[in-house]
Amino acid sequence: MTATHVLALALLWCGCAALLLSAAALALLPTPYGRLHALAPATSLGVPLLCLALAVDAGAGRQAAKLLVIGALTAVSGPVTTMVIGRSMAAEDRAAGSGEPQGPPA
Amino acid sequence: MNAWLLAACVLLPSGLGPCLWRACRGEPARRLPAMALAGVMAVAVFLLTARGLHRTSYVDVALVTAVLAPTGTLVFARCLAGGARAEGAGGGD
Repeated sequence: MTATHVLALALLWCGCAALLLSAAALALLPTPYGRLHALAPATSLGVPLLCLALAVDAGAGRQAAKLLVIGALTAVSGPVTTMVIGRSMAAEDRAAGSGEPQGPPA
Repeated sequence: MNAWLLAACVLLPSGLGPCLWRACRGEPARRLPAMALAGVMAVAVFLLTARGLHRTSYVDVALVTAVLAPTGTLVFARCLAGGARAEGAGGGD
């Protein structure tokens, strides 16, 4: 059990804890706009920590670079999708609020 | 069974379970956060399974999912927003 392996395992379990926190927040938060916050721990902390753990475990090289690209992709796409989902929910509320029947899009 | 596979086995039910549950309830746009989080959980499970089964070439599956899952969520949101705008424009004349 080398120091590198211990570091990788620590990062792994911290990443898993952040992902499980997200899942619990999604299940337990009462309001829809509150549930939007459930995405943040997973995309900004959980998957990047997992990728860091796997990169530490894999050692320097192409494989570690690919893992870090995946972590960066997830960290960047998280806030973007959260904003777009928030706008979509607000548009749905406006349409529902103006009395029109909310049917499926054409 | 190693730590990576154990983490994947923990994440699969307890991570994707709430996402599937929330994705089946409520208005269409209110299901999007669950779908987006399910994509993130899928990336994590693919990464851990690839390492746990010593198939590091399967990391490419996680890379493709990390690119396509948010894209799919954006397409869904665009489709729903288009529908809501058409409803609003139809009622305003």
